Amino acid sequence: MNELLLMCTIAGRSAAIPALRVQSVLEIDTVTPIPGTPDYVCGITPLRSQALTVIDCSLALGFDQPSNSPERRAAVIEHDGHTYALLVDAAEDVAQATSDPVAIPGGLGEGWQRAAIGMVETESGPVVLVDVETIIAGPPALAA
Amino acid sequence: MDELLADFIAETREMLEQSGTELVAWEADPSDKARIDTIFRFVHTVKGNCGFFDFPQLERLSHAAEDALAECRAGRREPDSALVSAVLAIIDRIGAMTDAIEAGEELDGKDDDALIAALDASGPTEIQSEVTVQPEAVDEAGEDAPAKGQRQSMQRSIRLPVDLLDEVMKGVSDMVLARNDLARRLREAGEQPTIDGPFERLSAILADVRTSITRMRMQRLEHLFSSLPRLVRDLSNELGKQVMVDFEGGEVELDREMIEMVRDPLTHIIRNAIDHGIEKPVDRLKKGKREIGLMRFAARQSGNQISLLVTDDGNGIDVDRLSEKAVAAGIYSHSEIKQMSQAQKLQLIFEPGLSTAAEVSSISGRGVGMDVVRSNLERVGGAIAVSSKPGEGTSFHLQLPLTLSIIAALTVSSDGQHYALPRSYIEEIVFGSSSSVEFAEAGERRLVTFRGRRVPCISLADVLGTESNERCDWESKTLVLIRLASDDVFALAVDRVHDHEDVVVKPIAPAIMATRLYAGTTLLDDGSPMMLIDLPSIAQMRGLVGELRSKPAIIAETQDKEEKAATPVMLFAGLDGRKRAVRLELVRRIDTVYADAFDIEGDRAQAVIEGRIFPLAGIEHGALPADRCRLLRLSDGESEVVYAVSEVLDAAEMTEEIVPSANDRSIEGVTLIGGKPVPLIDGHTLFQRHGVPQRSDSPLVCRLPQNSEWARTILEPLVVAAGYRIAGDAEEEADLAIALAGDTADETPGARETVRLRPDPEDTGDGSIYRYDRDGLMAVLKRVRTGRAA
Repeated sequence: MNELLLMCTIAGRSAAIPALRVQSVLEIDTVTPIPGTPDYVCGITPLRSQALTVIDCSLALGFDQPSNSPERRAAVIEHDGHTYALLVDAAEDVAQATSDPVAIPGGLGEGWQRAAIGMVETESGPVVLVDVETIIAGPPALAA
Repeated sequence: MDELLADFIAETREMLEQSGTELVAWEADPSDKARIDTIFRFVHTVKGNCGFFDFPQLERLSHAAEDALAECRAGRREPDSALVSAVLAIIDRIGAMTDAIEAGEELDGKDDDALIAALDASGPTEIQSEVTVQPEAVDEAGEDAPAKGQRQSMQRSIRLPVDLLDEVMKGVSDMVLARNDLARRLREAGEQPTIDGPFERLSAILADVRTSITRMRMQRLEHLFSSLPRLVRDLSNELGKQVMVDFEGGEVELDREMIEMVRDPLTHIIRNAIDHGIEKPVDRLKKGKREIGLMRFAARQSGNQISLLVTDDGNGIDVDRLSEKAVAAGIYSHSEIKQMSQAQKLQLIFEPGLSTAAEVSSISGRGVGMDVVRSNLERVGGAIAVSSKPGEGTSFHLQLPLTLSIIAALTVSSDGQHYALPRSYIEEIVFGSSSSVEFAEAGERRLVTFRGRRVPCISLADVLGTESNERCDWESKTLVLIRLASDDVFALAVDRVHDHEDVVVKPIAPAIMATRLYAGTTLLDDGSPMMLIDLPSIAQMRGLVGELRSKPAIIAETQDKEEKAATPVMLFAGLDGRKRAVRLELVRRIDTVYADAFDIEGDRAQAVIEGRIFPLAGIEHGALPADRCRLLRLSDGESEVVYAVSEVLDAAEMTEEIVPSANDRSIEGVTLIGGKPVPLIDGHTLFQRHGVPQRSDSPLVCRLPQNSEWARTILEPLVVAAGYRIAGDAEEEADLAIALAGDTADETPGARETVRLRPDPEDTGDGSIYRYDRDGLMAVLKRVRTGRAA
């Protein structure tokens, strides 16, 4: 309840990332690809003297299409001592959740179901609250 | 209060370490008052501090030790081995108590009476102690009062958490990146004098700060060394041996964390050396050695590496027994051992599960072997090598990186992207197109034959999955020869090799780690990231490690070399930075000169050293450095030639044959030194081209004003030093005459050239030279000589 959310678009759908986890939102300039890594790892990008691991949220959720992100916006998140940039289609605003996350009967559909903490209501309607750890872990085939 | 206690513990620790060394040194020379003072101060400080914290046991112990030492200081008691041992025991006990206090444990109620009694055991004169000792102790009480005649001046210091240091280091790295960014923008904006100046200054300051920050993490090796004599003493006492320790290079600085890392491996080596290496005094005497064994520790910094040599003069490693053990342990078969060289057999000491100890003692042979030492060192990017001569001793050679986070790397590119390879694995770089390289295929495996060695070859692009082997144009690649710590060799083909760089390595996310291809990431100066390739892991994945281990013959030298007479050579880097060699007999000496010593015009190149002019060679390889330059002075016995180099590297022995070069007459040929090809300068061609007979055979003649005191006392030595002979009488033909302005009478025919010196610094425009214009005068002397030589 009243949790702050970063509203964004992942794989064409409205989604939200818990704003507490997000250090900043940045526009990614250049990404150095890393050969040999799974597709959802786009590469690394420098942020000050750090190297961020760039992860494509859409691919990480198991969708076929990479994020369609003209502005190349990414949410910077720290997990387990490493810093990641989660690339999303768009990152709009910070909003307040007006409900606790709830499960939806019948589920959210493949990909979403696995990565979702649940659905939350916001001023602008319901969104899927995603679990950053799941995104970082990558699509199911690789996570296994 | 907690902070106070932490300080007390830290202070006690620090002093503990120091006094351990002092005690041992004191035992060797009991008359050394300064050392007793140090130890006395330690126990005294502990005693004093105990007053604050209420540790009665600790207080009692330190008090007892203090009393005994005070007796010695007052000269009423001769310190003997028993006393030293007793004091050491008390200091150990204090250490153990300190540990307990730090851990927040209750001090165990062990009875310390025995320890204290040991102090008194041999005290012959105890009667008057009470009265006289106390005032002295009080006298010394002010611990902040600098001790008289203290040998090392104490630096003021404080303790800081490492986290904070890391934070500051990160901040400075950020600043450097921001500076680089700013520099780029400034460059784009064109020259701006008002900004460029301060920016330069900022850059310089930043560079200094960066260096100081790095140094904050550094510590002198002395710190580590200081704890070793105690260890050696205890071990040798326990085993009934006598061992002396010798240190060299204690001033070398190393990352604090790295020092802690080396402590264990070093301890292990010392234990081994004293337990198995150094013989008992009787046995040593029988062999004609000194009764006392010697362990030497020598540290040296070379670039980004510290090399640490640990040598003992013991019995050496019994290679045969080592081999037997290896067979017994099932690591190698008899036939495999038979094929090994002595050196290879010696390497068995690093095999897991091998110990030369006949039986497990309390000192060594407990299964934690040299393999653990080696893997611990390798984990931090170091290396260890061993050499041993039967009956003469063993030395271990440790190579350590300066810090944990900065490594020397080679940047290469593959498929348009840069990668870093850890420098420590790289043995050599060759072009795929080079005629000395031959590619072959065996099944799916690409092999490359290089200098008689056939090694597997993999392409970095293939490893990273950006280009398959089938499409690889091997000839266009550059091959980096990699030698892993396990001695496995393979060639890694990359598109290009760029640069040597010291890179700061940062950890990478687990998803990238999972590929097992990368060991970390690093940022280039322009802020763009670059991946550090994990070579051992790649070799493992590609099966390059195990395969070769079972068949060491593949990479073994195609033929065992015969013993050849060694010719001493000097290795140097030419002006182009390439390594070359010259026969050592040719080298007379090495000079360093400034740029103005050179005189180069067209084909003629000369250099002036101490007023003598030498033909100059070596400049065809590159530009002379802007300020100072190193010169090798070569001589064929008659004439001398100087050879400009960028760096004098080392003396070495040339044992391999010289492969002559048909096209390049300036070299005798190419030979292998330490496995690397080095061109050897051809002395004959060199002196044929550049050599002129030494001028002392026919020095130029200079006539000086006959009747001038000044000319005789001031001018003459100068002219003589420049290689001239002073004309004997007025009749003799001179190459140069020097006359004093206005002294027309002395003008003599028979000189090719006359120079006038004037007494007045003001230029009068008559072409004369001010008599104290030494440079001007030397220039004339030089011009006349070179004029004749040309």
